[in-house]
Amino acid sequence: MALFATPAVPARFRFRIDLPQVPVYAWLALVVLIPNLLLIGTSFLSVAEGRIKFEPTLGNYVRLWHSAGFWRLLWKTLQFSLLGAFLGALAAYPMACFVGRAVRNNRSILTVLVLVPLWISLLMRVFSWRLILGQNGVLNSSLVSSGILDTPSSAFLYTGSSVVLTFAYISIPFIFVSTLNAFEKIPQSLIEASQDLGATTVQTFCHVIWPLTRRSLAIGFSLAFLVTVGDYVTPSMVGGINGTTLGVLISSQFGIASNWPFGAALSIALIVAVSVVVGVALWSCPQRGVFSGDETPSGGPPPGARPRLGFIGGSILYGVVVAFLYAPLLLMVVFSFNDSTLQAFPLQRLTFKWYAELAGNSGLIAAAQRSLVVAVCVVLVSSIVGTSFALILHYRNLLYSRAIELLLTLPLAMPSVVLGIVMVLGTEIVGVPPGLARIVIGQASFIMPITMLLVLTRLRRLDPSLLEASLDLGASRLQSFVHVVLPLIRGAAIGGMLLGVTLSADEVMVTLFLAGPSQTLPIWVFNQMRFGFTPSVNAVFTLLGLFALSTVLIGQFISRRRAID
Amino acid sequence: MQQAVGSYVLSLENVAKTYPGNTKRALDRVSFEVAAGEFFSILGPSGSGKTTILRTIAGFEKPDEGRVVMAGGDVTHLPPNRRDLRTVFQSYALFPHLTIGENVQYPLRMSGMGKLERTRKAAEALELVAMEPLAGRLPHLLSGGQRQRAALARAVVSRPQLLLLDEPLGALDLRLRQQMQHTLVSLQKELGIAFVYVTHDQGEALSMSDRVLVMREGRIAQLGRPQDLYFKPRSEFVAEFVGNSNMLPVEFTADHGSYVGSIGGVTFPEMRGDKSGKARVAVRYDNVHIYPAKENSGTSRLSGIVENVLFLGTNIEVDMRCGDLRIMGSLPAGRADSIVAGQAVSIGLDLADASVFHV
Ligand SMILES: Nc1ncnc2c1ncn2[C@@H]1O[C@H](COP(=O)(O)OP(=O)(O)OP(=O)(O)O)[C@@H](O)[C@H]1O
Ligand SMILES: [Mg+2]
Repeated sequence: MALFATPAVPARFRFRIDLPQVPVYAWLALVVLIPNLLLIGTSFLSVAEGRIKFEPTLGNYVRLWHSAGFWRLLWKTLQFSLLGAFLGALAAYPMACFVGRAVRNNRSILTVLVLVPLWISLLMRVFSWRLILGQNGVLNSSLVSSGILDTPSSAFLYTGSSVVLTFAYISIPFIFVSTLNAFEKIPQSLIEASQDLGATTVQTFCHVIWPLTRRSLAIGFSLAFLVTVGDYVTPSMVGGINGTTLGVLISSQFGIASNWPFGAALSIALIVAVSVVVGVALWSCPQRGVFSGDETPSGGPPPGARPRLGFIGGSILYGVVVAFLYAPLLLMVVFSFNDSTLQAFPLQRLTFKWYAELAGNSGLIAAAQRSLVVAVCVVLVSSIVGTSFALILHYRNLLYSRAIELLLTLPLAMPSVVLGIVMVLGTEIVGVPPGLARIVIGQASFIMPITMLLVLTRLRRLDPSLLEASLDLGASRLQSFVHVVLPLIRGAAIGGMLLGVTLSADEVMVTLFLAGPSQTLPIWVFNQMRFGFTPSVNAVFTLLGLFALSTVLIGQFISRRRAID
Repeated sequence: MQQAVGSYVLSLENVAKTYPGNTKRALDRVSFEVAAGEFFSILGPSGSGKTTILRTIAGFEKPDEGRVVMAGGDVTHLPPNRRDLRTVFQSYALFPHLTIGENVQYPLRMSGMGKLERTRKAAEALELVAMEPLAGRLPHLLSGGQRQRAALARAVVSRPQLLLLDEPLGALDLRLRQQMQHTLVSLQKELGIAFVYVTHDQGEALSMSDRVLVMREGRIAQLGRPQDLYFKPRSEFVAEFVGNSNMLPVEFTADHGSYVGSIGGVTFPEMRGDKSGKARVAVRYDNVHIYPAKENSGTSRLSGIVENVLFLGTNIEVDMRCGDLRIMGSLPAGRADSIVAGQAVSIGLDLADASVFHV
């Protein structure tokens, strides 16, 4: 059996399944389609005396439709995420413009610096904001000690604005990374042509730069929106009662309230609302035209351009935003060495006791071990499956392969809270008990598509004639694969693995639904924080952050060495 | 040739430019003037500073020294959007998100012209280059030649005084190039806009231009009408670059009160000089005549061996060796069959108007 067929196959309309396609369809059915259909199905059931009644009913939806509380909560949820993404865009879009068009040297360092927070545990980032905003937090203690406030205020934490602030904080890297590429791609000659044709700087921005970047902005905005709207951990940690969102309500239906059908209906409502928002965002920023490729692809200003006002403004903005991104994290690291149970300045003596405490904590060690096992399993499954699916999608002519690809990546686009319960339903129905197996399946459902997409992107960029050249030079199909294709996609696959490790090690939102009593490290930490805070949490996060950073660095190093194209 | 003061649209005065990080000057005190309605070409090998001149005129580069003056006054420190000129970019630089029509309207829109008016003007400009039917298309749906014409329409739509073109035909194939050359010349005559046209194709420069500027390593090698450059090159460099010339070593010796030159040991009485010693003479390919070896008319001939024959359509180029000299000759294609590689030939040189350069 050939590993890959030549792409053009005329008889597309014959329905034919060959062996390599079976796993793709199986994954699609078991991990994506059936669990999602279950969610829809469950939303039409009801609960009586604590047990699910298997009788179709529209009751949940009717209840939602008539509940003023639901509409208020939905509106508030959307508002938090929209505002967060909007504020994030306000900072990230000009910053991407600065890095993409004004900076010439060290552009990659400036980029990585903004992206690093993406690899640092979300829990850690949210938690660090608690350190700042909380009653005993840095903000309060410095306001009190400077005499502006008499007593610590509780007005900062547990409000809607603290949720919005944290969401904006989470949104910045997403929006930055999506728009940066669009700014870099605009050929310098287009900017010059516009000036040459009599446009002022403002006119050039409105008529050339904005139309060529707004699509990416909409995508980044949607991405940030999707991430924050499904986040029920942040609101519960920094939002308190005022910051409750739909996500929190949904998660409680699968926890304390234990009303799965109602939770499912809420999820469907959330998905519909989110789709509308994302649809509007993308629709209002259409993509028109494509670069024809004969423009000189030169990002950045012409050499010889001297720093001007815009450049100075851009540098200041960049500095402020990066400080905003890192200050909370650094604060946490500092407190992990601080000999005090209070998270406040002035600092006390330097101590390692919080780290020492970790070593003696059997719950923590068990959780860390579990996390390790989960990460290894998830990464193994995801990279093997993801790479082979990418090869199958690229080289075999699957019927509707584009649609299959989209469906396989669906879990990536789902709000985490919804993905969490979808995976609960999917594993419950086939009898996988809560615990490691469930966690691995749940995490693989969204880490596999990431690996797959990375490898697919690489495959699509490969020059198709490389393979033909190899065949022409007398290599068999198998040899060509081993000696040409495999080495070229190895970098992408390894990148996917490293990313998978950090994602798996940090995941809370989906895992929380699936873990049952077997807590992974982030879950354990999350529970610690819920039941009361010890400074050793700072120490755990510092270690986790170090781990994530070194993984990123290793990844960078490997990809740098393999940077052939 | 020098234009009367005041009739020029552009004047460069001692413009010098060094790119940051380079030690060598990209432009070294370059001065010239372009008259209204003139077709002015800049010719030179790669890296000689042609693009730098254009970018300085357009305002994308600031000169370190010197001034750029246009009809309205000194523009050296004016930003590109405030200069009354347009550039046709080699890459066309059509905005990918705008249709061809919208691209052409762009400069009018920037200057605040109303929609009706600018639609009409854009249609007119597109008509000039026979592109009107494609006004509604996005750029990536056009062929290279069509994009080129759209870029041209966009550049001329607001009737600037001056149009800068940087190797605008570089990306086109031979046939399209020739078509576009005609389009360009007739457009230029019709609109009366001065063109500053950069190319490294000497045939193109000579056939299209009123005057040609030859650049060498950031300096002006020669500036003049095409026939001056062709028949009266002022340096070996220009002769070789412009005229498809053989540069042959000559030895002048005293002869009846004047000096006569000999090439490869053969004396050519019609070549007269005013001093003795070694020199080099530029002999254009079409001034080389090739005869069968046995035919010997008594006049001065070099004998050589044909090394290679290149068929170029209307003519052939013959590469010959005479001792350690290499001589290239150009003949009508009709004689292609009579000349083969390895054949012994007798070579005549037409030296009447050849330029001599003393070493
Ligand atoms: N952006 C730049 N930075 C540094 N040096 C440059 C830059 N652009 C051009 N140069 C240098 O300036 C000199 C003139 O370059 P220019 O681009 O004007 O040449 P050109 O005549 O247009 O050549 P070509 O025919 O290859 O387009 C060259 O030596 C080149 O290396
Ligand atoms: Mg050039």
